[in-house]
Amino acid sequence: MLEISNLLNEDLILLDLEAEDCEDAIKKMSSKLIEKGYVKESYKQAILKREQTFPTGLDTGEIKIAIPHTDSTHVIKPGILVAKLKNEIEFKDMGNPSNRLKIKMVFMLAVKDPKAQVPVLTKLMGIFSDQEGIKKIYESKTEKELLNSILNTIDSKK
Amino acid sequence: MKKIVVACGSGVATSQTIASKIDSMLQDEGIKASVEAVDIKSLDNIIDQVDVYVKIVSGPTNYDIPTINGIPFLTGMGRDAEFEKLKEYLK
Repeated sequence: MLEISNLLNEDLILLDLEAEDCEDAIKKMSSKLIEKGYVKESYKQAILKREQTFPTGLDTGEIKIAIPHTDSTHVIKPGILVAKLKNEIEFKDMGNPSNRLKIKMVFMLAVKDPKAQVPVLTKLMGIFSDQEGIKKIYESKTEKELLNSILNTIDSKK
Repeated sequence: MKKIVVACGSGVATSQTIASKIDSMLQDEGIKASVEAVDIKSLDNIIDQVDVYVKIVSGPTNYDIPTINGIPFLTGMGRDAEFEKLKEYLK
């Protein structure tokens, strides 16, 4: 079975990512996934376009997050790229696109097989409703620490 | 059995995850219902067979059926209230 640890690793964690806006953040993060061989070149345009039509900002309390993702046809192998943003960036609100949210963390999803990945995504999204957990994740100082915080937060829900 | 449909932009991540969350919450309470995730484009074709629509993205149309907000199932904020609404609609 696909486990969360198969989708996350230190290489997929970006600390203090600098970006001008939502589009810039998505471009930089997609480039990383392309470079690491997780997604095709086409992923970048596809995810930018999808974010415009169906934005992914979520109001998760103090630490607001966004979860950009797009169709699996652009994905080579599954992974989750996590970025802690150096400065807050505005993303549109998933539920109400006329509303803008100041996002602190971005979880970019490369979904290959939606059915197989649902249990893992469900676990991942479980942390979004845990404000304490997400704060701990956000306050991590190193890639390793951030990765472990995510895994620990998920484990604490078992 | 009542049919619940969750729709998002592509049907890949968000709607599937919310559907799975709702499914497990209903199971925990012993409520039987089918929960399905679809992409918003296919929603028009099946909406007349749906009992409750779980809305995530603001679609082009509003449907004349019981609708709840799906986002709280992701963020946890206001989840209990939406779940209570859902249970009412399923009665």
